[in-house]
Amino acid sequence: MLLIRAIVRPEKKDEVLANLSTAGFNAATMVDVVGRGKQKGIKIGGMVYDEIPKVLILMVIPDEEKDKVVKIILDTARTGKEGTFGDGKIFVGPVEEVYTISKNSKGL
Amino acid sequence: MREIMAIVRMKKTGATKKALVAAGVAGFTAVKVLGRGRLVTDPTVIEECKNKLLSMGIDEFSEAADTEKQVTGFLDGSRFFPRRLFTILAHDDDVPRIVEAIITANRTEHGIGDGTIFVLPIMDAIRVRTGETGEAAIW
Repeated sequence: MLLIRAIVRPEKKDEVLANLSTAGFNAATMVDVVGRGKQKGIKIGGMVYDEIPKVLILMVIPDEEKDKVVKIILDTARTGKEGTFGDGKIFVGPVEEVYTISKNSKGL
Repeated sequence: MREIMAIVRMKKTGATKKALVAAGVAGFTAVKVLGRGRLVTDPTVIEECKNKLLSMGIDEFSEAADTEKQVTGFLDGSRFFPRRLFTILAHDDDVPRIVEAIITANRTEHGIGDGTIFVLPIMDAIRVRTGETGEAAIW
């Protein structure tokens, strides 16, 4: 199983989650985060804003669904035709075990 | 070295903390998160819950249609609910014990929505105070 951590724009959050839900990936966790990226924050006049609000979406999915989920997030979270700075990142990592508490069982 | 990510009910935060101390794990990080997961598929349970929620919502200030819409949004699985995300670093041998402790502390009679536990591999850990690395940096 894989853990997907996707950092997306707050205004794109609802759209991304709705598209994932319609594709059958309803389960997700989200956290409000602040961060900066390659662009080193945004500079407006003399002020540098390097804590830009984003939403971190956490999902655990079976290995074979990875490409599908990543494609949905990429297609939905991109702004403009070519994409712009600040659209976010997707990180994929391994998960060894999953337990569901209410079922007291192993697995998603 | 393993990282245990546990998503639990807000109300169970205290119980989880106690269970972790009893299991011999004092250190953890907790974040408030919003989440959704598996859906209730039994229509009778949904109907019962809907009636209960609707009876709570009607008063002279709220429109019936608004309440209905809100309650439906609550039950159709598109709504996110507040949960607490615990992150615990543990030695490999302790993982089953900690997972067991979290499950025991968090099970409720509802049979759904009690949360999920993920176990992830960790490459390295460093204690900032002493500079210790690896297993020694956990606890």
